[in-house]
Amino acid sequence: MSNAAENVQEQEIDLAGANQVIDKYLDMKGALMPVLQGIQEFYGYVPEPTVPLVAERLNVYPSQIYGVLTFYAQFHLKPRGKYIVRVCMGTACHVKGAGRIAGTLEERLGITHAETTEDLKFTAEYVACIGACGMAPVIMVNDATYGSMSVQKMDEVIAKYKAME
Amino acid sequence: MVNLTIDGKQVKVGKTATIYEAAQEAGIHIPVLCYAKKLLPYGACRVCLVEVEQMKGRLIPSCTTPVTEGMVVTTSTPEIVKVRKTVLEFLLVNHVIECPVCDKGGECDLQDLTYEFGLSTNRFEGEKFALPTDEINPLIERNMNRCVLCGKCARVCDEIVAYGSYSFINRGFESKIATAFDRGLNCEFCGQCVSMCPVGAILPRPFKFKARPWQLKEVDSVCGYCGNGCTVTLGVLGDKVETIRFNDKTGVNDGNLCIRGRFGYSYVNSGDRLTKPLLRKDGQLVEVDWKEAIDAVVDGFGKARTEKGLGILSGARLTNEELFLLKNLAQTLGTGNLDHSGGECYKGLTEGLKETLGVTASTATFPQVEECDVILAIRSDFYETHPVFGMVVNQAVKRHGAKLLVVSDKKGKFTKLPNAQTLLNAPGLEVNVLNAMAQTLLEENLAVIDGVDGSAEFKISLTDYTPEIVAKQTGVAADAIREAARKLAAAKKSAILLAYGLPYTGASRELGIAAANLAILTGSAGRQGSGLYICGEKANSQGAVDLGILPAGGALGAQGMLKAAAAGDLSALYVVGEDPLSSYPDRDQVEAALEKASFVVVQDIFLTPTAEKADVVLPAVSFAEKDGTFTNAERRLQRVRRGIPSPGDAKSDFAIFEMLAARCGSPVKYTGPAAVFTEITASIPEYAGISFDSIGPKGIVWGGETLAPARKKVLPAAGGKASEGPFTLVTGSALYHSGTVSTRAKGPMAVVSEPYIELAREDASALKVNEGDLLTVKGNGAEIKLKARIGTRLPKGVLFAPYHFGGAGINRLYKGQTAVAVQLSK
Repeated sequence: MSNAAENVQEQEIDLAGANQVIDKYLDMKGALMPVLQGIQEFYGYVPEPTVPLVAERLNVYPSQIYGVLTFYAQFHLKPRGKYIVRVCMGTACHVKGAGRIAGTLEERLGITHAETTEDLKFTAEYVACIGACGMAPVIMVNDATYGSMSVQKMDEVIAKYKAME
Repeated sequence: MVNLTIDGKQVKVGKTATIYEAAQEAGIHIPVLCYAKKLLPYGACRVCLVEVEQMKGRLIPSCTTPVTEGMVVTTSTPEIVKVRKTVLEFLLVNHVIECPVCDKGGECDLQDLTYEFGLSTNRFEGEKFALPTDEINPLIERNMNRCVLCGKCARVCDEIVAYGSYSFINRGFESKIATAFDRGLNCEFCGQCVSMCPVGAILPRPFKFKARPWQLKEVDSVCGYCGNGCTVTLGVLGDKVETIRFNDKTGVNDGNLCIRGRFGYSYVNSGDRLTKPLLRKDGQLVEVDWKEAIDAVVDGFGKARTEKGLGILSGARLTNEELFLLKNLAQTLGTGNLDHSGGECYKGLTEGLKETLGVTASTATFPQVEECDVILAIRSDFYETHPVFGMVVNQAVKRHGAKLLVVSDKKGKFTKLPNAQTLLNAPGLEVNVLNAMAQTLLEENLAVIDGVDGSAEFKISLTDYTPEIVAKQTGVAADAIREAARKLAAAKKSAILLAYGLPYTGASRELGIAAANLAILTGSAGRQGSGLYICGEKANSQGAVDLGILPAGGALGAQGMLKAAAAGDLSALYVVGEDPLSSYPDRDQVEAALEKASFVVVQDIFLTPTAEKADVVLPAVSFAEKDGTFTNAERRLQRVRRGIPSPGDAKSDFAIFEMLAARCGSPVKYTGPAAVFTEITASIPEYAGISFDSIGPKGIVWGGETLAPARKKVLPAAGGKASEGPFTLVTGSALYHSGTVSTRAKGPMAVVSEPYIELAREDASALKVNEGDLLTVKGNGAEIKLKARIGTRLPKGVLFAPYHFGGAGINRLYKGQTAVAVQLSK
C-alpha cells in the first residue's frame, strides 16, 4: 500500500490448491481453521502467499491469521521434511539420554529442533512427551515409534529412512 | 438505571455501565491500563481489580464487570493495593527500564502507576526481551520490549479503524503484538494505535526527541483538512506545532484521527512557507512590504472593475469569519463572481438540494449514524474522503449490526465490512443506480409519497430506469438494486452518505438530486435519527455553502470565471487558498485563464504553481495560526484556535481582507472573529441565536441534531452514459492526502510521495505491467505518464489516479467529467 513498505521477497507458488481448499469451506461459519489445515495438508506447510489470499477470500485480517498460525503448534510456516523425527525430551527420556539421541541426529543430519535438511527429507522436532515412557528414550519418525534408542540404533533408523524414497 | 454503592457512596448509573465506568462517574479513581472508553471491555491487565461484597472470595476486574442493582463495591483496601502492586510487579518483570529516553515519559500510564503505588523494587526476576525496534516506516515506531500486552492497539485497529494491522502472535511467554509475519508496520498510518498505547511501545516518530510532554502547550483546535471537523489538540513548543495529541474530551471524533490529522501537521512548520508579500516586477516575483503589495492589489482590482471585471475563487479552508469578510469584500469590489472549489461540485450540489429538500446541508449528525440500521454510501469510499466518519460507519456495522449498502465504482474498506452489500457500477453511473432504487421504491409501493411534491412526474421519468435496464447499463444486478431499495425502505433509521469535492465534479447536481430523492422517498430526510449526509471535501466546505460563497444572481461560478478569463472576458482573478493549476479540472483552461487575465492575485501559505503565475502573492496563515470557526459536514460549528505565531510577515486571511476592504472604501474594523461571528448570526438565519462564546468543546450544531427539510420535492435526475473505450479513468481522493496542502506535509508524503495510477490485477497481467512500471495514459487530447500501482479494489477496465499531485497533470486528462475514457499502454 505504501512506499514505506518493506521489500518482501515474494515466494512463487501455485495458489490453485489453496483456492480449491477455500472454495470447499467458503460458506462455512468458522472456516479459518479447516482452511488453514487444508492448505497445510495440500502444501505440507502454510506458504506465505496463501495468507493474503485466505485473508481476502474469508475477509479476515492477515494479522489475525498469522496470530492463529503461530498460536497452534500444528501449523508450520516453512516447508517441512518428508520424515518428521520427533525426539522425546520428557523426563524419563531425558534421564535415559535423550540429549545424546538428539546430538546424534544433529551430528548425522546437521539439523536441530525445528530445522529441516536442505533436501527436504528430514525435519527434527524436540517434543515434551510422546507418552511412551516405558520405552525411553524414544523417538518417532512420522507415525512409527522407535523405543530404547541408542546412538547405534539411531544410526540405523537414519540409514533406513535415508535409503527410502 | 441501576443503584449501587462504591466506597460507601451511593451511585446511580445506566444499566449497561461497568463498575469502572460507574466509579469514574462518581469521581472515584480506579487505575487502568487496558481500558479505553471507546473500546469494548477487555480485562487484560488486571490493574483495575476491586472487591464486590456479593462476590466475596475473589477480586473482580472492574472494567469488564457490569453493574447490578444493590452491588456494594470497594475500590481500595490494603489487600487490593497489595494485589495491584503485585500485578505491576509482574508487568515490570519483562518491561525494560529505559524511561530516561522514552518519549512517553511523563504521560505513560505504567510509569504513573508505578509511581502511584510506590514500587521501587521488584520481588520477581525474569528475562527482559531484546526485540528489535520497528523503525521501518517513517511515522510509527514500535518497541515491543515496552509492551504490556493490553491489546489496545490491536483492538482499536480492528474495532474502530477496521484495518486490523495487529494481532497477538505466538504463545505464552513468547506472546507479543505483531503484524502479519511479524513485519514492519505498513498500514493506513492513522496512528490510532499510537494514541491508545498506554506505554511507550508505539510512538509517533515525527515527535521523537522533539519535546518532553510536560513542556508542550496544548491548544484545542479543528483539523484543517477534511469536512469531518475532527478536534485536534496541538502540542505546541515555542513557535512550532510539535505533535498532535490524543483528546477524546472535545469534538465528535472521540480522539480518533486519520493520517492527515495526526501526521499531516508538519507543513505549518515548513521553511517553505510564504513570509513576505511578493510583487511581479520585470517579470520576477520580488519581496515587497505589505503597503506596496496592497497598493498593487487595489490598483489592479480597480482597473479590472472598469474593464471586464473580477472573479474570486476561494478555498474552503478559510474560517467562517474570513468567508464572511470575503463575501463583503466581493460586494465592495462590485463583483458577484464568487465561488469556492473549482469543480462546481458545490454549486451543482447546492442547487440540486435547494430544489429538492430546500436545505443545503446534512440533515442529521455523525453520532446518529452509529444507531442507524441501514446505511447507504454513495460514490466514494468514506474511508478515503472522511476517514474518521468511516470509523463511525464501521462501528455502526460491527457493534450495532447496521446493514451497509455501497454504490461505488470501486471496492474499498467499506465493501469489506460485515453485512456490506456492494453495488459496483461502471464509473460515472451512480445516478442510474440511485434512480433504479427510486423506481423500485415507487413500483413496489415502498415509498413515502404523502406530502411529497412531484412524485407523479418523477415516476414517469423513471420508466427508463427499471432495475433491468440499469443493470445492463451499469453492471449492477437488478436483484441487488431491488434488494438494496427494499432494505433502505424497511429501515427504521437510515443514513444516506454522499461525499463531494473537487474530484467529484461531473453530474454533482444530478447526484445531489438523486440522493435527495431517495432520502425523501424512504423518509430518511428529516426523520429523527435518520438523514442525508452531505460531506464536503475541505475543513470548511459547509461553512462556505452556509455563508454563500457561491456565484450571486447569475454571476459566474468557478468554471465560468476560468472560461471567461481564458477567453479574455475577465480582467482579474483573486485566488484565495486554492491552487487551481494543480487541482482544478481542465488544467489547460486554468493555464489559459492565468495567462490571459491581466491581473492575478494569489493569497496562500505556499508559493504554489498558481501563485508562481500571479502578479501579486499575499502570504496567508494556516489553520494553526488563526482563530475563528469552521462548520463541519454535519453542521457543527467548532472553534479554531491559534496555536503558534504566523511566520514572518504572513497575515491571516481575516487581516488581509480587512486591510483590502479598508483600502477599497469599506473601512469596517472588527475587534476579532467574535465580532464578525455576531454579524454572521445576524445575517445568516441558520446561525441565529448562536454566540461565539457558547461554542463549547463539543461545538454547536446549527439547525439542531435533526434538520427538517424546508420542502420535499422529488425531481428527475438524468443518469449518465457508460464511457466507451478499453479503460475508464476516475480521479478522487487518496486516504493519505487532502487537497494539495498535504503534499507539503512530511507525514502523508512519507507514505504516498508521488502520483500513481491504480489498475486492476487482471489488467496488469494482461498488459504485463508490474508495480511501479511507467504507464502512458492517453485521453481527452492529453497524454501523461504515471507509475503503476496494482490493486485488488478496481474492477477490470477501471483506472484510478488521485488528484492531489499537481505535477503529474492528472487534470490535463480530467476535465470535470464523472469518468474519462482513456487508453493505457506500457
